[in-house]
Amino acid sequence: MHALVQGVILGVLTGGVYALMASGQTLIFGIMKVVNLAQGAMVILGAYLAYQLFVSFGIDPFLAIPITTLIMFAVGVAVQLLFLRPLRREDRSELSLLVTFAVALLLEGFMSITWNTSYRSINTGYENASWTVFGYQITQVRLWAFLLSLAALGLLFLLLNRTRFGRAVRATVQNPDSARLLGVESDRVAALGFGLGAATAAAAGSVYGLLYPFNSGSHYDLISRLLSIVVLGGLGSVGGAVVAAVIVSTSSAIVASTVSPSWSEMTFFVILMLVLLVRPQGLFGTVGRGAL
Amino acid sequence: MSTILELDGVIAGYGAGDILKGVDLSVEAGTITCLIGPNGAGKSTVLKTVSGLLRPRKGTVTFDGHAIGRLSPKARLLLGIVHVPQERSLFPAMSVWDNLLMGGYLIKDSKVLRDRLDEAVASFPICRARAGEHAGSLSGGEQKQVELARTLVLDPRLILLDEPSIGLDPKSRQLVFESIRALSSSGRTILLVEQNARSGLAASDFAAVMESGRVQLTSTGASLLENPEVARLYLGAGTAGHATVLAPSTDSPGPSARTPGEEPR
Ligand SMILES: Nc1ncnc2c1ncn2[C@@H]1O[C@H](COP(=O)(O)OP(=O)(O)OP(=O)(O)O)[C@@H](O)[C@H]1O
Ligand SMILES: [Mg+2]
Repeated sequence: MHALVQGVILGVLTGGVYALMASGQTLIFGIMKVVNLAQGAMVILGAYLAYQLFVSFGIDPFLAIPITTLIMFAVGVAVQLLFLRPLRREDRSELSLLVTFAVALLLEGFMSITWNTSYRSINTGYENASWTVFGYQITQVRLWAFLLSLAALGLLFLLLNRTRFGRAVRATVQNPDSARLLGVESDRVAALGFGLGAATAAAAGSVYGLLYPFNSGSHYDLISRLLSIVVLGGLGSVGGAVVAAVIVSTSSAIVASTVSPSWSEMTFFVILMLVLLVRPQGLFGTVGRGAL
Repeated sequence: MSTILELDGVIAGYGAGDILKGVDLSVEAGTITCLIGPNGAGKSTVLKTVSGLLRPRKGTVTFDGHAIGRLSPKARLLLGIVHVPQERSLFPAMSVWDNLLMGGYLIKDSKVLRDRLDEAVASFPICRARAGEHAGSLSGGEQKQVELARTLVLDPRLILLDEPSIGLDPKSRQLVFESIRALSSSGRTILLVEQNARSGLAASDFAAVMESGRVQLTSTGASLLENPEVARLYLGAGTAGHATVLAPSTDSPGPSARTPGEEPR
């Protein structure tokens, strides 16, 4: 029982971070029908940026987030303008897989050259601090990471639901032609949306760098997890991505703490397959269109 | 009367082939013009070239003296052209009210926006009654009313309506046509595509018949209603034909010759 509860605690806390990464990815899919295979690489790049700001200037990774998100927002916009916009609307969905994979490799190459391939971790000095509550261990860093992710998701939610830009984004996701007919410039929404997706990757990246050691190749692991989460939640559904992230990481953590860590990686693929058998569109997906 | 919209030799298409093969059409300011024709004739495509969803490959589209063929949908919207497409065009997972607000996406002045919203709600009370509900949860007829209300928010000069009565029961259909006439009586110009040719023509001042990517015949709505060939083909009198091409209006005042072999899809 103790192991189970400990697993739930760990899983929920970690799930928040994955939720943040996945929300950006599902947003990009919703707006452009682009599966962004570079989302993992953007998270890792965000982690490196946080690492560098910490090593060079002593900026705490949490405090670095406004800086890294701004930089990654610009990177995201640039990627969209340079690599995705030139694709023709009709075959954008298929070609974007190749293009974003190429972008992932490009970013990986850039990171290997800049920081070489040895594993880095951000050693703030508080990374091992933890509290014990009723006999359960709560790592402080994970708690902060979780709270930060919640705050970032909250901001994203407000942006999407309470602003004019957010309404335009949701409109584009739900009915792109109609949105254009009401004066929404789809190219602009796509560029800003891609930037937003990259910004969430950066915020999540800072935290990721605090929680795990990483190198330029870490994005492969990450993207396979993110894809599973996004598909499980329903492509294009931000709420779905959040729920799926928590389900996936909680169940992996429970299996790791009660059965064996070696089975935990398998867990979420099993869940994914079971869910897709029953609901091919994912938990919260609508067929064909995002439900943002 | 003056011409507000003019298409001249418009050629347009989606992929390899041309769907519109030289469309000529003029619409008089303040009137209702009805475009009829078989499925696949290119009626919706004509509306898309006017609203900017599709750019013509050749030919010109002129609105109120501006050549608009290469403008973005946004620029055309700012000139006063609004397109209500054939398929459901509301944002299903947004509230009815947010859908209306999207109608005012380009309106910067919040007072103007409020006035327009009030006007739209006054004409279509359903927008207030069901304001908080997801648009996707409304029935087809109710959604159509919200679409028309959203159109009003833009205070358009030219409204392109693609089959507004599709899938509606007779009462809702009547309601839609009443709304269309109301829109028109406030001085707006309406270009209407209608599969219910009888109701469409009866409501219209002018009419044009399209087949296989061309406008084959233009006339007043009333005279097309009385035209026996049109009646046979589109008004369900006798066996409904589908493979007949009417003679171009330039050659003869009425439809006469048929060209066999050209099967519209
Ligand atoms: N988005 C698209 N991509 C490719 N081809 C299209 C597209 N939209 C329409 N077409 C093709 O263009 C032709 C004309 O279509 P259009 O929608 O203009 O016809 P329509 O006259 O409005 O027919 P209906 O009465 O069925 O609405 C059809 O053959 C159709 O297959
Ligand atoms: Mg049509």
